[in-house]
Amino acid sequence: MTQTRINSVLLGITPIVLFIALWQSLISFGFAPTSLLPPPGAVFGKLAKDFFNGDFLHDIAATLIRLFAGFGIAVVVGVFIGLAAAVSPAINAVVKPLVRVLAPIPKIALYPALLLILGFDHASKITLVTADALFPILLSTYYGASMVEQKLIWSAMAAGTPRWQILFKVVLPAAMPSILTGCRIGLVISCIVVFLAEMITSTDGLGHMLVQAARTFQTVDMFVPLIMISMLGLILNSLLHWLRSYLLRGFPEV
Amino acid sequence: MQVVSLRSDAHTDAEPVSGRKSSGVDSAAAMIEIDHVSQRFQTSGKQSHLALSDINLTIEDGAFVSILGPSGCGKSTLLYIVGGFVQPTDGVAKVKGKAITGPGPDRGPVFQEFALFPWKNVLGNVMYGLRQQGVKRAEAEARGRKLLEMVGLKGYENFYPKELSGGMKQRVAIARTLAYDPAVLLMDEPFGALDAHTRTRLQNDLLDIWDRQRKTVLFVTHSVEEAVYLSDKVIVMSRSPGSIKQIVDIDLPRPRKRADLLLDARFQKYIVDIEKMIDDGGKDHL
Ligand SMILES: Nc1ncnc2c1ncn2[C@@H]1O[C@H](COP(=O)(O)OP(=O)(O)OP(=O)(O)O)[C@@H](O)[C@H]1O
Ligand SMILES: [Mg+2]
Repeated sequence: MTQTRINSVLLGITPIVLFIALWQSLISFGFAPTSLLPPPGAVFGKLAKDFFNGDFLHDIAATLIRLFAGFGIAVVVGVFIGLAAAVSPAINAVVKPLVRVLAPIPKIALYPALLLILGFDHASKITLVTADALFPILLSTYYGASMVEQKLIWSAMAAGTPRWQILFKVVLPAAMPSILTGCRIGLVISCIVVFLAEMITSTDGLGHMLVQAARTFQTVDMFVPLIMISMLGLILNSLLHWLRSYLLRGFPEV
Repeated sequence: MQVVSLRSDAHTDAEPVSGRKSSGVDSAAAMIEIDHVSQRFQTSGKQSHLALSDINLTIEDGAFVSILGPSGCGKSTLLYIVGGFVQPTDGVAKVKGKAITGPGPDRGPVFQEFALFPWKNVLGNVMYGLRQQGVKRAEAEARGRKLLEMVGLKGYENFYPKELSGGMKQRVAIARTLAYDPAVLLMDEPFGALDAHTRTRLQNDLLDIWDRQRKTVLFVTHSVEEAVYLSDKVIVMSRSPGSIKQIVDIDLPRPRKRADLLLDARFQKYIVDIEKMIDDGGKDHL
């Protein structure tokens, strides 16, 4: 078991190592001048040094707050509305057209309006992240909850579960695989959107750091936030994966 | 052997399906009464399909009754109506004299697909009904363990359903239903997905449990042999529309031993007779 685990970790690391090697060779063989494309060693060195830099930590914290708040609200709202629409035809009748109209809008187009209404600080960015992460979570919750095996519900009802409790005792846990898949997509989107919002208008955060560096031709500093956001994404995704295998330990492999 | 023939469209009150030998004794009260029940389903395209037509049936407390019939004759639908999962379009179904308005812990279902909660382990599944009935956790756990021992799954308490074989899953499902002590067991082809060997073992275990607890059992199956082996009464249904064709009393002594019965001419004759009834039904409609 540990052997296969080690193997899969090795397999996962290989493409990353190859990518960094390709990056390095572009510089070593003179395809890209160091002034434009800094070598990976320089970037990772700067990244390590930056961890002792208060401003950098502040940027990470700002990005993380927006990411977690936006994603968290999207999970709560998306799961709640998705479940409600799945069990109540009346709510579904209201939610369905709204989702159809709102889901295809590129939410980033709302950002200027959000900035005007909510200001430059956290609120506008959190709202944008929520708006973008909401729909995949809502839709996968809705479909998961709509497809719950009828006989699970009947079994619970026969055992004496009141109708209103069925939602939390059967529908929610039975829809969990689908909900978590939606959350995973929502999390990736959240990472992208928070970075994007900070690049467009912000006074702090990783996205802002990248734009600042680019404006002043600090190429090394430009790559540091990029590496950082991809590392954050990797860590958060692993955490979610771990949570998923814990919550779904009884479900057949999906 | 007497084969009681009873057309459901005769509009007479169906003959009470008696418990065991005690037929005629007044003490065996009606557990389930089905009174002029019909079920019509809307199908796609404004049509409707009469799945059950004017079913009349009385099942006495403690009786083991099987339902046989061709696919689509409404066996499951009838069971779901008694379970309260489906409301009949016409007529009433009653349990202990009271009209059925929804599911309740006096009627416990066991489905062919097991329908175990995948997010709960074996013990959690069995404890579910007890917890719903307000039993304290510690006591529910103790009773859950006992039930699992009874169905032969001691040591599997912490397994998840996906880690069990089909036969074991069905044992868990039976234990989960027995846990809240329903007066009526509603079993819809419970052993239909199992191999012959596992099936025989589960039949015997079910008979053992029934011998001890004397619950009323309504048992849907496609196996004539299984129906005759287990039941006091076999209800043969026909299709289009679903109706009761005949009710056959199975007058074989209990406790029953499979090995003895297989050599018993009466057992064989029941099987042959009922198979003929089902075949005739097929000719009627195809
Ligand atoms: N929810 C439903 N909507 C429409 N038609 C239904 C519904 N449930 C059952 N039916 C129809 O009612 C009839 C009886 O179905 P039912 O499942 O009770 O048959 P069955 O005797 O249990 O068959 P099988 O032996 O294959 O399980 C079938 O023709 C089926 O198509
Ligand atoms: Mg059926």
